[in-house]
Amino acid sequence: MRMEPKTGFFEFIQQESGKLLQQTLTHTGLTFISVLIAIAIGLPLGILITRRRKLSGIVLGIAGVLQTIPSIALLGFMIPLLGIGVKPAIVALFLYALLPIIRNTYTGIRGVDPTVTEAAIGMGMSDRQLLLKVQLPLAMPVILAGIRTATVINVGVATLAAYIAAGGLGEFIFGGIALNNTGMILAGAIPAALLAILFDWLLSLLQNMKGKQSRQRLYALPLILLLLSSFYLLPIGNSGPLKAGFTPEFMGRRDGNPGLRTVYGIHVNPLVISDMIMYKAAYEKHIDIISGSSTDGRGKAFDLVVLQDDKHIFPPYYAAPIVNNTVLENYPELEPALNLLAGTINDSIMTALNYQVDYLKYSPEKVAREFLLQKGLFKSARNGSKGTIRIGCKIFGDGYILANMYKMLIEGHTDLAVSTKLGLGGTKICFDALNNNQLDVYPEYTGTGLLAILQTPANITDTLIANKDKVYAYVSREFEKQYGIKWLKPIGFNNTYALMMRRQQMADLQIKSISDLALYLKK
Amino acid sequence: MIQLSNVSKFFENGKNAVDDISFTVNDGEIMVLLGTSGCGKTTTLRLINRLLDASSGTVEVNGENVKNIPATTLRKNIGYVLQNNGLFPHYTVKENISTVPQLLNWPEDKINARCQTLLHKLKLAPEQADSYPHQLSGGQQQRVGLARALAADPPVLLMDEPFGALDPLTRYAVRQEFKSLDELHTKTVVLVTHDIEEAFQLGDRICLMNAGRIQQAGRPADLLFHPANDFVRNFFDSQRTQLELSTLHISDIWDSIPEGYNHNGHTKITADSSCWKALSLLSAGPVIATHQDTTKEITGTAIMHGLQTYKTR
Repeated sequence: MRMEPKTGFFEFIQQESGKLLQQTLTHTGLTFISVLIAIAIGLPLGILITRRRKLSGIVLGIAGVLQTIPSIALLGFMIPLLGIGVKPAIVALFLYALLPIIRNTYTGIRGVDPTVTEAAIGMGMSDRQLLLKVQLPLAMPVILAGIRTATVINVGVATLAAYIAAGGLGEFIFGGIALNNTGMILAGAIPAALLAILFDWLLSLLQNMKGKQSRQRLYALPLILLLLSSFYLLPIGNSGPLKAGFTPEFMGRRDGNPGLRTVYGIHVNPLVISDMIMYKAAYEKHIDIISGSSTDGRGKAFDLVVLQDDKHIFPPYYAAPIVNNTVLENYPELEPALNLLAGTINDSIMTALNYQVDYLKYSPEKVAREFLLQKGLFKSARNGSKGTIRIGCKIFGDGYILANMYKMLIEGHTDLAVSTKLGLGGTKICFDALNNNQLDVYPEYTGTGLLAILQTPANITDTLIANKDKVYAYVSREFEKQYGIKWLKPIGFNNTYALMMRRQQMADLQIKSISDLALYLKK
Repeated sequence: MIQLSNVSKFFENGKNAVDDISFTVNDGEIMVLLGTSGCGKTTTLRLINRLLDASSGTVEVNGENVKNIPATTLRKNIGYVLQNNGLFPHYTVKENISTVPQLLNWPEDKINARCQTLLHKLKLAPEQADSYPHQLSGGQQQRVGLARALAADPPVLLMDEPFGALDPLTRYAVRQEFKSLDELHTKTVVLVTHDIEEAFQLGDRICLMNAGRIQQAGRPADLLFHPANDFVRNFFDSQRTQLELSTLHISDIWDSIPEGYNHNGHTKITADSSCWKALSLLSAGPVIATHQDTTKEITGTAIMHGLQTYKTR
């Protein structure tokens, strides 16, 4: 059997050069538009607090606290206020850039030799003249250092903007993590690093200018920043009648957006958006079509309906625990304990469980325990002493609930202890951890194993995709052969990819299947 | 003319306060504010150009209360020289000198001409106009600071320890140049120093301060020979003889010097030379001086005798 070679870094950037360029420009624009706003607000604020010394503690304190908010959380806070897309991303980046700019303006001006300031005042300069002729020019190297810091921070944080559909190089990075595609990760990460180095270097040139040139930079800087910011005005995403928002993973997978293009002929220009906010964004009509997963509780919570996949591009995604063979040999009691769950959870049960977690905000632990109690599978923990099993899961509903169930089953039915590493950032991270013996078990999906991990070529995939048992048999065999990892019995539900829309809109547009959607979009 | 009337300035921390000070500086006069550090002399200086505002009393410059003049307008008409020169490090020498003329919107060619003149007067090479302050020596920097203060030809000049940061040799040279500067003769100058020798060399009048109060204000000879109190007397004791000899001119002790002289190989000086100068010339041989058509030989004994007589008169 011929294995399709994994896409390398250079092949990837060759194939995706247009997209790479667009993402780089978006990234640059996003970085500088926020830095520019941060300068426009931070510089006057920094100057103000050199004049009103009492305010300095408060202003620097607030800016410092903003800086300590984890970037992904800050982006999350922005969504209820500003929705998704460009606005919240720019506001979050702006808040990050604020502290270095305010602080360096303040310390730069405070650091000007007091004799020089006194000479300027003593010669009759007004406060404004003192600021423009003496303090700002002399503080400029320090202020520019602050702008450099802010820019470098923002190039980094801007990669997270992809989570909330603001674009940028994060699209490749998160797509690559989700898809187990190192080339794709690097195609985002390397340009992002190069951008940071490049901007840092350019600003350092500006910072180190001497004498007369140094005054010109005062005028040059805003112009350059404006120019770079304007990159963001280049069109990205969405121009059709319906707006689509797809996860980075869906964007890159063969059974995702590329499948929609080739099989259904659907050419939407989707926003790239994080799974975490996608459902709500659809409910709030920021977007119309999303790439959901069929058992996600939020689909039920937000009354989103799955479009029928009438041409079968989404392979079956049956969940099953995957375990290292060596672990199974060391602890023979593990496999029966894990298999206790096999066949117990169908699609609607899984959706209901997810609904309890995603929407009713019950803890995954509570939901897992109640389900096991109801099924008569729950036993109180034996305080295992024989060894420790490390369970992982990916960062979405199914994973958290299943990992908790497995923890309870192992602790209740065997003498093993369990440590959990939950909410890992994607398929690549989970699978690499398992393969490198950092994890012992995590729940995986057959479709993901087939496409993302094994990277099975299209001709083989096509023969398997319609039949869930064939897919399970294929991945079991290949995992055993290639990695020494065993697929245990399927849990029962099929959490496949699904295009979802709001119920009302589907009725209005008379869309039931993906083919209907394709037809509507062609009109 | 500068006039301070019953001026007080108090700070919250109680330091450098000035307590009920009055003095007048006439046009073309150099008034030296002398005292130990913390005595309030710099505070007094800063009250004149309103870097500080007086708590009570009035400060008048050329007959007008400074509180009635906008601070920036007032300051543009007062030259200001600082101890560590306070030159703008990002400006060239020429840009530094033209700061106030620029603020006053002088035409470009007038500014250029003025810079050339000042560079020449202060013995700075024309090509140094485009240097930056850090490329100059300490003495040169201080000259640029002086040129900057004189640039707009202000009637009043305030100097805060202007030569304090220089090494002794340079200080002496810059001081000499300063004293011989023709522009200075028309200006009203207030100079702050803690250096007694500098006060006596430069001051037309000296105002000796201690703990925020004026101890005595007057001509240098008044302070030396007619001290108002023990503080004033004690203040000069360490250098008294040298100061007295520097302050007294040959003409002051002319009557005490014996008649007659020998013609051959004598150094000739005028009677307005100081006794100190005459004494230092004596080490090279006999000295004679002429005053009111008579000529006398000046000897060490004659000078010391003259000094004694002068003090007991």
